[in-house]
Amino acid sequence: MILRFLATVTLIPLLCFASPKFAKALDVNDLIFRGADYHYKGDLDHAIKQFREAVRIEPENEYAHNQLGILYAKKGRFKEAFLEFQKVVEIDHQNTYALLWLGILYLRENDLKRAFDKFQEIVRIDPNNADAYYFLGTIYNFRHNPAKAIEYLKKARDADSDEPDTHYRLARAFHNLDMTSNALLEYQKTLELKPNYTKAINGIGWIYYNQGRIDMAIKEWKKTLAINPRDRDAIFNLTKAYNDLAWKALREKDIKRAVFYWKETLAINPKNKAALYYLKRYKSR
Amino acid sequence: MKNSTDRRLFLNWIGWGILAGSALSFFPSLVWAKTAFDYALEGQGLIASKEYRKACKALQKAIHLDPTSDWAYGLLGRAYYGLGEKAKAVEAFRKAVRLNPADTYSRMMIEIITQKPVPRLEKKERPLAPLEQEAKAEEEAMLNRVRSTGSLTYQVNRIVIDAGHGGFDPGAVGPTGLKEKDVTLDLAWRLQRRLSDIGKIKSFLTRTQDYYIPLSDRTVIANQHQADLFISIHINANNNPKAHGSETYYCSEKASSKEAARVAAFENSVLKYDKPFKKKLGYIDIEEILFRFEQRMYWNESGRFARTFQKRFRTALPLKDRGVHSANFFVLRRAKMPSILLEIGFISNSDDEARLKRGKFREKIVDAVVKGLS
Ligand SMILES: [Zn+2]
Repeated sequence: MILRFLATVTLIPLLCFASPKFAKALDVNDLIFRGADYHYKGDLDHAIKQFREAVRIEPENEYAHNQLGILYAKKGRFKEAFLEFQKVVEIDHQNTYALLWLGILYLRENDLKRAFDKFQEIVRIDPNNADAYYFLGTIYNFRHNPAKAIEYLKKARDADSDEPDTHYRLARAFHNLDMTSNALLEYQKTLELKPNYTKAINGIGWIYYNQGRIDMAIKEWKKTLAINPRDRDAIFNLTKAYNDLAWKALREKDIKRAVFYWKETLAINPKNKAALYYLKRYKSR
Repeated sequence: MKNSTDRRLFLNWIGWGILAGSALSFFPSLVWAKTAFDYALEGQGLIASKEYRKACKALQKAIHLDPTSDWAYGLLGRAYYGLGEKAKAVEAFRKAVRLNPADTYSRMMIEIITQKPVPRLEKKERPLAPLEQEAKAEEEAMLNRVRSTGSLTYQVNRIVIDAGHGGFDPGAVGPTGLKEKDVTLDLAWRLQRRLSDIGKIKSFLTRTQDYYIPLSDRTVIANQHQADLFISIHINANNNPKAHGSETYYCSEKASSKEAARVAAFENSVLKYDKPFKKKLGYIDIEEILFRFEQRMYWNESGRFARTFQKRFRTALPLKDRGVHSANFFVLRRAKMPSILLEIGFISNSDDEARLKRGKFREKIVDAVVKGLS
């Protein structure tokens, strides 16, 4: 997401930003620079002050209103944030940035329909808006409509291929349709952009697992644990894999191997009830 | 001048830069082999005199000599912006920010330009890798098969059926010895067979035989198969032998009753893997907003499914309707799909137990569940 990437920041030198309107505009530009600078430094209150002053002088300054919207949202003042973005849209309906944030705020309010409509509005205005496609695809993913999710997430990917989240969600949609080559490809692209994206590693694990390549699946989930030893999904996935292997060994009457796997289960998840019980029962034999 | 501190100091002297830049463009032959810095400086001077096209050329030379120069990229962004080429400007500013996240000006310019539609840049085609070719063929084949509407209705195409208990955990046991774990396994099998006959919904079982699986493993199986719905089948029991009927549980933020809260609290006490979510102030995490939206949506859908199933049971089964209950089950909380738990009849009640023994009654239960799914 481009947005999030812009939402975190720091400072450094300010260069001149030319504007045709002189005296007044110069003040506004100055305020905006200072506002952006404070914002990037994390000083939200001072940033708000600058942008407020900017919109007082120039009430139609879309960028300043958008910044105020983001700043209020960061302060948890969502109603005010909403009003700022709304204001921008009133000034210029083509301001897709404000429309996008209105959509996000609707999502935050659990209002699926309104959020969806906002994102659709954006792609009607701007058929290359990767962010809006991302949200549309993600909503279809949440509705477990993978075909539609794929349609939109592919557009998001094609408009901006550098977002790991887009590739990951696209992978999920393909995975949901059993399109494993595509899923694998997109999981891999996620990891090229963000190597510690553990959810993608875990997804690759399931593709291997469901193909019967258990060893490779285990390797993937162990990769996740090397990144985050408390990753709940990886812990439970590995637990399940070892328990399955133990159960298979038991059915083949290979108790020694079964015991080995239950021990592996407990090494990862010491409270696993199944392994505790069966190990106690079969260890002595 | 590779040293970035020196360069920044220099940047503060913009007047200086312009002067030097114009000096260089007046007397290019004065200079030995030009460095990246020289070209960037020249570009900066040209921007100041609004000669954007020339500036682009100089800055591209600078970048060619030093592809890590965020300064040159930032200037290139300004030059393209001056030419009205917004897409290229954004691309250059993004490179600048990627090389130097502290480049405020480039960041701000991206924000300002991308507030509104920016035309798209042409992409270069490149040959496909083997996995990409495979993926393309797979996609073409699939798109011919899958027809999807744009409807926002929640879609159920694959479910995981969870037969409660198993192995050393018999679940509840009836007055004549009927075990919950055996009934649930048989119901799960019957349901899977029925669904496979109908052919619309793919189903997966959490267990296929009489062995024990911890609750955590069961939700893992639902995630393994990317299921759209998780149905856990149970048979109720009570100290009061007269208690009878069916009820449905689902996961929600608030417990629907004290009893439901107690059941959830008991389940939750087992798992302590995730640290509680800490709210970061001064930061908006969009993925977190999406995660919470997804979660609440699945809970809502779970409630909807629970009510539908309970309604089917009420009309299709000779069992008293004990209603729908909800509580915050930690294990279900992170399930990536709606999930419900059915308690069909009381094995502790001799009438219910007698019914549950009969294959015909079990088929009736399957009927009701299948109807609940359609
Ligand atoms: Zn039970």
